[in-house]
Parts: sequence; structure tokens; C-alpha cells
Amino acid sequence: MSTSLWALRAGDQGRITGFGDALAESYRIRLLELGFHPGETVSCLQAPAFGAPKVFRVANTVFSLDDEVATHINVETDLA
Amino acid sequence: MSKIILIGSPNSGKSLLFNRLTGLSQKVANFPGITVDVATGKLASAPDLSLMDFPGTYSLQPISGEERVATEYFSKALDDPDVTQVLCLVDITRLEKSLYFTLQVVRECARHGKRALVVANMMDVLARHNIEVDLEGLAAEIGAPVLPISARTGDGLDAVNDWLRNPVENRSENTALAETPDTLLRGTAHQLAGKYGPRGDLLVKTQARLDSFFLHSALGGFAFFAIMFLLFQSIFTWAAPAMDAVEAGLGALADTVVPMIGPQLAKDFTSDAIFSGLGAFLVFVPQIFVLTFVIGLLEDSGYMARAALICHKPLRLFGLTGKSFIPMLSGVACAIPGIYAARSVDSPMKRLLTYMAIPLMPCSARLPVYTLLIAAFIPNTTALGGLVGLQGLAMFCTYFFGMMTGLIVTGLVSRTREDHYTDLPFVLEMPPYRLPALPPLLRNCWNRCRHFITKAGSIIFTVTVVVWFLGYFPNYGADLGASWLGQIGQVVEPLFDPLGLDWRYGVAIMTSFLAREVFVGTLGTMFGIEGADENMVPLVDQIQATGLPLASGVALLFFFAIALMCVSTLAILARESGSYRLAAKMFLAYSAIAYLGAIGVFQLVSLFTG
Ligand SMILES: Nc1nc2c(ncn2[C@@H]2O[C@H](COP(=O)(O)OP(=O)(O)OP(=O)(O)O)[C@@H](O)[C@H]2O)c(=O)[nH]1
Ligand SMILES: [Mg+2]
Repeated sequence: MSTSLWALRAGDQGRITGFGDALAESYRIRLLELGFHPGETVSCLQAPAFGAPKVFRVANTVFSLDDEVATHINVETDLA
Repeated sequence: MSKIILIGSPNSGKSLLFNRLTGLSQKVANFPGITVDVATGKLASAPDLSLMDFPGTYSLQPISGEERVATEYFSKALDDPDVTQVLCLVDITRLEKSLYFTLQVVRECARHGKRALVVANMMDVLARHNIEVDLEGLAAEIGAPVLPISARTGDGLDAVNDWLRNPVENRSENTALAETPDTLLRGTAHQLAGKYGPRGDLLVKTQARLDSFFLHSALGGFAFFAIMFLLFQSIFTWAAPAMDAVEAGLGALADTVVPMIGPQLAKDFTSDAIFSGLGAFLVFVPQIFVLTFVIGLLEDSGYMARAALICHKPLRLFGLTGKSFIPMLSGVACAIPGIYAARSVDSPMKRLLTYMAIPLMPCSARLPVYTLLIAAFIPNTTALGGLVGLQGLAMFCTYFFGMMTGLIVTGLVSRTREDHYTDLPFVLEMPPYRLPALPPLLRNCWNRCRHFITKAGSIIFTVTVVVWFLGYFPNYGADLGASWLGQIGQVVEPLFDPLGLDWRYGVAIMTSFLAREVFVGTLGTMFGIEGADENMVPLVDQIQATGLPLASGVALLFFFAIALMCVSTLAILARESGSYRLAAKMFLAYSAIAYLGAIGVFQLVSLFTG
């Protein structure tokens, strides 16, 4: 199923498929530099309550992203 | 002299390595974005080589103004013939994060004929988990030597020193890279990180386990409040006695020195200008030390990034970010360490907003003023059947009012800013939890205090002497009311008339520019009461006896909650933001709001109390 990174719950995994058009170019570049590449598997480690930024792991690094960014990252959750 | 540049992604250990190699003490902390300007030092092992510690960036393609400074500095350095080598630091435990940047750096070095040395840091962490990495293979692919080190333990530093002193020619190897455009480089970095990066979940596992506690919806919130409570406790239990000791020490020193001085004028100058001037800013030192220490502990342990995450959502409503939380929180004790702490807010725009909010946080210097006014105007009775004391309630409201005003100001200002949407995104690296390293932390606390004393001290001291001068002459301190300061007070009395205050309050307000708590002492002097700052009761009685209306009291509370009456804060604000204009603008704006608002409050309360 294709959703946004922000829709993942703690423990979920997804493969990045691309970025939404609304995401500023500079943000997209930064995300790529940090390792959020299309094709990469991202897992959601923590999804704290009250809409706080969620914690994601990509490669061996852990980042927290807030909804303003994470809703524009598209992921595929069927990792067959 | 030839120069070496030290560069790498945020939080990779550059400053720690810099300190190791030079013997200096740059601030080290486990939070991305700690270093904001370039520090230079001589190599301890080769004094003819100087090393420059750069702020961390994730790439040579800047997306914020701050990063642009770092990258422009870097490209300028590449054109500098004195720069012969570039030391690029990578955090080997998280290779993905740093490799793209490393490749960019190696490429630029190849293009500009500089020698590049890649240093793989945090090898101790890999060793602890028995993870091996193929650094030779990596070196061959990126075309630059890769040396393993641990900046924490010092392993491998000899090899780095040897290399820096006698670099082996290695330029020929990276010619292929020189032609590669950024887009391809990104792919290469990704692929290399997959091939050579440390494998296994071990590194992230402990972190995830602790996070599931500290970021737990209920437990995490509880831990958060417990930690913040301890932070405040530490200020009162550690800093307060030290502050008393500083005051007592200065007092004792003054008592021994002053009687030895002959002429009355010199005597008065020493006791009232020099010692009060010193006292006015030295009392801040323990507070700065303790707050810097506790915040440093939180930063270095990795908890700060979690606290930023927890507070991000509510602060975003007011145009701030989670990273503004700690600076504002320290502002509740004292604005100065808060302003220092705002360095870690990476977005320049959010940092500006944080600066605006900090002076409105109810700092501890306001406490004596609030205590005096509340004791004088609010009856010492209880409400709601004895559940709440009216005075305590008033104190709480005043505190709360200050914090809310801070948030409202940033909320409003952020909405008027164009760059609101092109700002940095909230993508915060969650550093692993680490045991804080005490020596660099203590050194940093010491550096902060020294910076405060040397940089703010002169400004504060000058202002103190000027105020003393105005208050002392022309009648040699016999009567503050008849001094030049008193005369100015009488001249500007019409200014305080709309608040229902006479010139004595005007003078007290003017002197409180030195520090808010001076208000109490000055007012005491004006009413002819010695030592009002120690025991307020006679002063409270005096104020009540003069029949000052309640409306004036509330107006004064309002004024002190908002006005930026603190020369130390202004001095540090100007230093840290690099802009005297910002400090001046904030002072004027908050004074205007405080003054006009106080008039409004006076009118309003008068309406109800008749
Ligand atoms: N275990 C371990 N920790 C290290 C090592 N090197 C640095 N650290 C820790 O990593 C954290 C970051 O170190 P800094 O020197 O502040 O990093 P920096 O690259 O200067 O960071 P910025 O100035 O924010 O870009 C600190 O908590 C250090 O104690 C190392 O070799 N091993
Ligand atoms: Mg640093």
C-alpha cells in the first residue's frame, strides 16, 4: 500500500518511493543527503502521542521528522 | 604558516578532535549544530601548522543562511594558497550521513589541488560492539586515505598527527572523482555506505530501547517534567548558595578595602561604583555556570534532542521550534545562559524569534521586584476557602503572564515574516545516548563564564559607573533625591505620571536598567531605608503609607514583566546575535510596549477600583 511516511506507526516499515511536489526543492535535497533515498527502507521507531515529530531510522542513523516534512515523503508499505 | 581545515557533518566529533589536536577547548556537545563559528588553533605537535574547526554541515550545497556561511568559508579557504590540507571527519557509526559530504569534499580538494585526509571517528563504539569495517577498501574507492581514530579515547591520533606533518602525495588517485557531478555523487555515496558502512542493528538498538521510554506518551512526559524539575532544583540548590557566597565575598572584600581608602570621594567610588558594579554582574556567574553545566549534561547525554522533539509541536504554534525550548527554559532562571543556549537553534529565523522570547521569560532578577510589589498591594489573605493564597496566586499569574507574552510575541512576529515557509525543516538527528564527558563540559562552563565576564563585563561596568556618577554628584552622595539622577527623575516625572507614580519611582525604574532587582534597593534609598533589598518589610510599609493606588502597583508589575531592564542581557544579546541593532531595537520595542501597556493597565484598574 502506498502512503506517506507520516502515516507509519511505531514498528512499521516502508520503502521510499518518492517525494510529494509540495516539498521544497531544498528540503528534498537535504533529505537525500541524509539518506532518505527512493528505494531505501525506513522504519518508524517511535510515534509519540499528540502529533509530536516521529522518529525514523534510515540506514544506521535515526532522525526525527515532523509532519510538515514527513507527509511529503511517499512510501510503499508492502515490502514483498 | 600553512593551514589545515577540519570539516565534517554535524555531531561527528570535530570539536573534540580539534581540542585533542590543538589542546584548546572548543565547545563539545552531543547535539547537532553546536559549533557556529570557525575556531583556529595551532597543532600541538607541529606549531607551524594551524587547524581550523568548521561548523558541521550535511553538504556543500547550503540550504540555510547559516550553512551558507560555512560553505562559503570553505570555498574561500580552498582558494587560499596557505591552506594545504583538508581533514574531513566522518562518524563511522553512521557512514550514510557523512559520506556524500565526504565525497564532495574530496572532489573539491582534487579540483583545487589540496590534500584530503579522511578520518573515521568513533572507532571505539565499533570496537565495543565488535564490528569491523573495511577502511582500506573505502579509502581506495573514495581516493583519499582513511585513518581510524577515536577522538574520545585518543586512539589513532598519532597517525593523524604524523600524516598532517608529513602528508604522502595522494592527489593522483582522485582524478576520476573530480569530474563527477553532485547528482552522481549522491548515488555513489549511498552505494558506498551500503557496502562499507557498519552492519547490524546493535548501534541503534540501545538507542531505540531508551527512546521507547523517554518518548513514551505517558512515561516520557513524566520523565520530561521530572528532568525539568531537577533542572530548576539544581539552580536553586547549587547556584543560589554560590550567588550568596559571591555577594558575601564581595561585601567582605569591600569592608576590608574601603576603610583603607583616604579621600571620601575615592572611598564612595570604590564601595558604590566598583564593588556594586562588580557585584551586579558577578552574581550572574554561578547561575551561568550551573545552568551551562546542567544543560551541557542534558545535551551531551543526548536527552536534549528528545526534549526538543517533545516540545516541538506546541512551540510550532508560536512560530518556534522544539530546539527553542531549552533556551527559553533557561530564560526562566536567567536570560543570559538562555541566550547562549540559543546557539543550538539552527534556523536563523527561529533563533531570532527565540532571542525575542527569552527576555520575556520571568527571570529570577524579577523575583525581588514582584515580591515587593505583591507584598505592598495584594492583601495577604486566602481565597477559595483557604485553598490558595492571594499573593501566591498573583505571583503565579505574573510569571504565567510573562511566558505567555513571550509566546504571543513570537507567534505574531513569525506570522509577519516572509521566509516563514522557506525556513529549515524540522529534521533533527537523534544522537545516540552517551555518557557525558565531564572535562570538556566543565571547560565549557568555565569558558562561558569567562566570555560573560570579559565581553559583557565592560559594558555593564561602564553603565554602572555612569549611573553612580549621576547619582553621586553634585552633592557627593549626600542626597540621592538632589543628585543629577534625582533631577533627571524630576524632569521625567511627567512620564511616570500616567502610571500614578512620582519621581522617586521614576528614578528607581531608571536605575533598574542595571539589573531589575536594583529597583528595590534604589526605592529603599529614596524612602530613606537602608538595606531594603535584604528586608523589604519597612519599605512595604512605606509604600503602603504613601497611599499608592493598586492600579499603580499592577501597572508596575506589568511594566517589569515586559520591559527589557537588564544591561547584562542586552550586552550578551548584542554579542551573541552579532547585532547591536537587534539589542537596541528589542530594548526600545519592549520598553514601549511595557510603558504604553502599563498606562493602559493603570487606566483599566483605576476604572474598577475608583
Ligand atoms: N564514543 C565516542 N564519542 C565521541 C567521539 N568523538 C566525539 N564524540 C562525542 O560526539 C559528540 C559530538 O562531538 P563534537 O565534537 O561536539 O562534534 P562536532 O562535530 O564538533 O559537532 P558540531 O559542532 O555540532 O557540528 C560529543 O558528545 C562527543 O563527546 C568518539 O571518538 N567516540
Ligand atoms: Mg563542533
